[in-house]
Amino acid sequence: MSDIKPYDFMVKYQQQKDWIDGRGNFIAFAFFLGGIAGGLYLAAAYFDNLLGIFIAFLLTGLMGASYMLHLTHPMRFWRMMSKPGTSWIARGFTFIMLFGLFTVITMILMQWAPNATAAITTFKVLAGIFAFAQSIYTGFAVSYVSAIKMWNSAIVPVLFVTCGVSGGLAILLAVMLGQNGTQIVALENIIRIVLIGFAVIVAVYLWNATYSSTSAKDSVIRLIGGSLAPLFWIGVFLFGIAIPVAISAATYWVHDASSGLLLTAVVSEIIGGLALRFAVLKAGVYTPLLPAE
Amino acid sequence: MRWGMAIELKRCIGCNACVLACKAEHFVPPQMFWNRVLIGEKGKYPQVTKLIYSVRCNHCAEPKCVKVCPTGATQQREDGIVWVDDEKCVGCRYCMVACPYQMRQMYEEEDAQYFPGQELTEHEKIGKLLYPHTPGVVQKCVFCKERIDSGIAQGLTPGVDRDATPACVIVCPTKAIHFGDLDDPNSEINRVIKEKHAHAFHPEFDTQPSISYID
Repeated sequence: MSDIKPYDFMVKYQQQKDWIDGRGNFIAFAFFLGGIAGGLYLAAAYFDNLLGIFIAFLLTGLMGASYMLHLTHPMRFWRMMSKPGTSWIARGFTFIMLFGLFTVITMILMQWAPNATAAITTFKVLAGIFAFAQSIYTGFAVSYVSAIKMWNSAIVPVLFVTCGVSGGLAILLAVMLGQNGTQIVALENIIRIVLIGFAVIVAVYLWNATYSSTSAKDSVIRLIGGSLAPLFWIGVFLFGIAIPVAISAATYWVHDASSGLLLTAVVSEIIGGLALRFAVLKAGVYTPLLPAE
Repeated sequence: MRWGMAIELKRCIGCNACVLACKAEHFVPPQMFWNRVLIGEKGKYPQVTKLIYSVRCNHCAEPKCVKVCPTGATQQREDGIVWVDDEKCVGCRYCMVACPYQMRQMYEEEDAQYFPGQELTEHEKIGKLLYPHTPGVVQKCVFCKERIDSGIAQGLTPGVDRDATPACVIVCPTKAIHFGDLDDPNSEINRVIKEKHAHAFHPEFDTQPSISYID
């Protein structure tokens, strides 16, 4: 906040910087990784893909590492479970821990006790619940901030979880391509639906924000035509929506799509998901305390 | 008991004495502000009004910062004062993001000096001994709780007796800032709030601030 001049402080729309500048970059990464890890687990569990589940677990580990880098006192991380009653960060930390625990048990059972189907199903469902929770809580953590009107929307958790599922499905597609999986066509069909849903949610979110308040409208203007326009149009729209949708549509008609083309869609979708988290966090502005026109 | 302030905007001349008193009282490091004087304008020429607001943590009755803190580092005392326990804060900055008044700052630059490249001033040296700040922890106004606590222990009344009253209140040259117990119907601050029709600053934030302003 030191780059804000004292006479400018809260007399004009003030960009949120605590969760995007410096160490704040790591929380954007953590939110992104948590989203795709949760989405990947759900997709991999549905398709019974152990490697996908393992990668989801690794991504959750990376999310935890990113969280730690965000904290100025990471050695006190264990305190972050102290207040799950009111704090979304505390709840999220609990979700991450439980997701990791149940995923490890699921993977151990799938690898070394494949006949214990009841136990596998039980732990897979438990891990799935916390995978979903891990994916959606980041949206709730952001939407709880009533001070930033663009964030304070019920659409944000839906947007974040859809983006996470979309990225997770994309990673699973890459995994299946590597394994020469037989369920690629079914996965592609799900990806098409999720991608369309994601594009619609992004549009509805931005449209809704322009009507909710003047500060939310200011945020949308920054995103669409202001300083954040390159991040939004290239990162979110081009990589996150346009390229994956175009490739997805092409593969619908051309059934023998090349692996290279599909991998391009996968990478593009992951970049788009990351860009979305950065775009939303960067676009958040506070309502001025005083008018200064 | 709930401590609060009422600030008379017509009396405030924007001299920043409250800001400097706070800096001196708590040895607040460079680039850090526990309170500020905001200056804005309303209207268009020739009908223009200059707005001067002395602002600090509002010690809200419904503080967002306390709710979002994952570790319980940000706490609220029974007398309404919101403070940060340095030993519990992990530095996640959720409280900073959540405060609609933006009255919290992260203390990171441990080596920051008021006069870089020169020796520390005597005040800075004393500050490092008397009021050491923990790096990587969120800071904010604490309503001079040390003064209040020691004053009460001596039998003094905050808001009435100088030694039990926040530094920003006692230095105000125009006596624009009133301090006292909001829960005491007979307190001076409640009389001022009632007689001069004080109002909350941005009540739409829905946090029930303990600081009110008088137009």
